[in-house]
Amino acid sequence: MIGTVRRSAGHGMAGTAERWTAIMGGVVLGLAGARRGDWLGLALAAAGGGLVLAGAGAVPLAERVRDAAAMRRAHPEPRTVQANVTIRAGREAVFRHWRNLSHLPRLMDHLDRVEVLSATRSRWVARGPGGVPVVWHSVIDKERPDELISWHTEEGADLPHRGSVLFRDAPGGRGTEVSFTLAYDPPGGAGGRAVAALFGAAPEQQAREALRRLKCLMETGTQPTIAGQPRGGRAPGDRKR
Amino acid sequence: MKALCWNGIDDLRVERVPDPAILDPGDAIVRVRLSSVCGSDLPLISGRMPTMKPGDILGREFLGEVVETGPAVRHRGRGDRVIVAAAIGCGKCRFCQTGRSALCDNSNPQPEWTESAYGHGTGGAFGSGHAFGGYAGSHAEYVRVPFVDHNGIRVPDGIPDETAVFVSGAVPTGFAAADMARIEPGDVVAVWGCGGVGQMAMRCARLLGAAGVIGIDRRPDRLEAAQMKAGAEPLDDTRVDLFDALQAMTGGRGPDVCIDAVGMTAEGTEGAVLRAMVACCRKGGTLSVIGDHAGHMDRFPMGAAVNKGLTIRMGPPDGRHTAERLFGLIGSGDLDPSYLMTHKWPLDDAARGYHMFRTRTDNCMRVVFAP
Repeated sequence: MIGTVRRSAGHGMAGTAERWTAIMGGVVLGLAGARRGDWLGLALAAAGGGLVLAGAGAVPLAERVRDAAAMRRAHPEPRTVQANVTIRAGREAVFRHWRNLSHLPRLMDHLDRVEVLSATRSRWVARGPGGVPVVWHSVIDKERPDELISWHTEEGADLPHRGSVLFRDAPGGRGTEVSFTLAYDPPGGAGGRAVAALFGAAPEQQAREALRRLKCLMETGTQPTIAGQPRGGRAPGDRKR
Repeated sequence: MKALCWNGIDDLRVERVPDPAILDPGDAIVRVRLSSVCGSDLPLISGRMPTMKPGDILGREFLGEVVETGPAVRHRGRGDRVIVAAAIGCGKCRFCQTGRSALCDNSNPQPEWTESAYGHGTGGAFGSGHAFGGYAGSHAEYVRVPFVDHNGIRVPDGIPDETAVFVSGAVPTGFAAADMARIEPGDVVAVWGCGGVGQMAMRCARLLGAAGVIGIDRRPDRLEAAQMKAGAEPLDDTRVDLFDALQAMTGGRGPDVCIDAVGMTAEGTEGAVLRAMVACCRKGGTLSVIGDHAGHMDRFPMGAAVNKGLTIRMGPPDGRHTAERLFGLIGSGDLDPSYLMTHKWPLDDAARGYHMFRTRTDNCMRVVFAP
């Protein structure tokens, strides 16, 4: 049940949310006037547009890929993405959940499955742009029980990147602090594409989302959803009443 | 089923929509018996709070009967008469466990809206737009209640629906305004806004030990209710100079506690309310902000607030956390919110009801829909 709960428009909503932020962030409260339909338009654009770059003014991914060379010049250093969350659960339980890598697709929309091959090796299958599967092998290179897991893609992989998760006791008995870090080549490079495959086009947001889901699963055993709830509104010409 | 849907700015229609279904094992379906309008609905309807999508069902303050529960529900069952607060809590996170369900970490399916606007995501809420998760509201025949073990509050026998329904919204909100102000014996409390929440804030301030309560509004019917039902001294700020009047009523000290029960308005006057509160409040006094706010407020008189040593408390109430205490006050006869229901209409008339509520015609305090 839980594993099948998926958010409908993960990264797509990001664009909408950021526009909302821009609106709430200043000027426009007094504008009072999102014109009728504006928000529907945004929502449709976000949901239907598929891979839309949050934070880059809704640039379709295709354009982003085309600009890869330019991006490489602009960001020659490896990139790091980090997300942090505090979970109301013991360090051991949270560690155990993550250490079972086959759980990870529950946390990351773009990840189809992770096959555990040995104590340290695993095979990851993600749904890349356009639904094309992207496959790579990872090796856990460091593990300290209840404290740390770090891994990297195998030597010679097309899409190299590194990841780590740190688990710490929050002060005052307030649960477990989790830090999730990914390092990869600039967005235009191969590693960048792997991260895009893994996390969609807004890695920071999707890393946060992964930790949010981990927290919600650990704390409540489920994920909140509104997918499938009733709503009104009729299509043009629809006469139902 | 029938439901009141938002279809665009100021475009409300009662429509036929599918019945809600259990979407998570912790859900329940509640058959709605009464569902009240709330002042916070107005900025959503008018587009001032631009987070609605066409087809969204409104309503966030309701009472009903559990008709179906998911397999993980343990403490609520078919036939339970429940109220449900607007804010949805997961019941398990640190905030839910400490009586702050409105700050829930886990109930909002799309927290990136408030995360990017406010720095951290807020919890979900019924009928409150997509920044708060986009949950379908209660102006309908049925509503799905997530995490019902936490959010469904059983109504004690002997308290009629017409009284209990307000314990899902106006009562705990007004109570929270008075409670977080930490009223001390002898304090005079001034309340801006004599709508449903303001009325309850005034009455609760009395119950929490205020020596005097002043209700500020412009509607004669609301000022009369403040005086007759909530025991307040009414003050029409269109007829007097508010600052002078409040100083005259408090020996020049100013009110010890000033409560904002106005919040966002269609006219954008919330800044004026908060600035007046800072100016009027006594030195060392407390501002308690319970009214609905969403965006920025400019020209806040920070110098006056700091140099007068004011304390500002604010935030959304946790209706679930205080319900038992409030039902106790109702049971003992100390508190009676039923007079807020100036109109009880069928759901079919909901669009007309909102027009009446918004234009404050026919002395409407709250119109409550019975599906």
